[in-house]
Amino acid sequence: MNILTKGDKYLIILIIVISLVSLFYTKNSAFNVDEKYISIQVDGKEIKRIIFDKKLIGKTIPIKTEFGYNLIEIGDEKVRVIEADCPDQLDVKQGYISKTGEIIVCLPNRLVIEIKGIKDERDVDYISH
Amino acid sequence: MKGLKKLIFLSLLVSLGLALSVIESMMPIPFVAPGAKLGLSNIVILITMVLFGFKEALIVGILKSFVFILVTGSVSSLFYSLSGSILSLFTMYLVFTKFSKVFSLIGVSIFGAIAHNFAQILVASLMMKNFRIFSYYPILMLTSLFTGYFVGLASIYIVRNLKKHMKIHFY
Repeated sequence: MNILTKGDKYLIILIIVISLVSLFYTKNSAFNVDEKYISIQVDGKEIKRIIFDKKLIGKTIPIKTEFGYNLIEIGDEKVRVIEADCPDQLDVKQGYISKTGEIIVCLPNRLVIEIKGIKDERDVDYISH
Repeated sequence: MKGLKKLIFLSLLVSLGLALSVIESMMPIPFVAPGAKLGLSNIVILITMVLFGFKEALIVGILKSFVFILVTGSVSSLFYSLSGSILSLFTMYLVFTKFSKVFSLIGVSIFGAIAHNFAQILVASLMMKNFRIFSYYPILMLTSLFTGYFVGLASIYIVRNLKKHMKIHFY
């Protein structure tokens, strides 16, 4: 008895290829920026910007808004959520993020923690003569 | 199947989907992909679509989402589950009616799972006003491949049995 049709098999292979390629692409495009900062956004608005610093390692930042409470810990060039009052605790389970473009999302509290590259913000590139 | 019998059968399907969602929400989430779910209640919607049709499946899906809010109490998740199930139903119906020669129910449910994830990420990024969330989509796509496969496999067996028994009891 053959349940999988030919179309199914092609579909599965196609999806594996697409997702692996795009995974590779998003991972790769995140690498080429060296200066990074943490952008903390609540409900779409950026409320805090933190540039990584050796002095800040181990520092915790409480984020208390009308949507909920999260406690963020900064490590060596990485950041994570260690406490949250949301029911699923997905943001805590995710652990550290360190690369540009990586994000931690806490949907119930409308919190997004994103690592951004400083170069992204510049409108004009350097002009060299 | 008509009238009262259909009504009862559809409400049974709604409650079955609800029970599956509740069980699913109790399950621990795999570490690799936070936010990924098994999509067990998708089995119910897929079966309804195959046995009854598009309209009935839409009703079951929407009712299930609404009653699930009453169970869990988180209203903000309504948008995610509602948008996900509606878009996945549209996709599944399209694939099922147009390409049922090419894809079995497994393919149909994989399409549904991918559309479901797409709708949820879209709603999430609109709510957060941050389209970077889409960078998470490839991982969800890979997991939806596995969950879609097993949902489709389960639906194939269930549909086969239900078709056999419904002929005897209802027609």
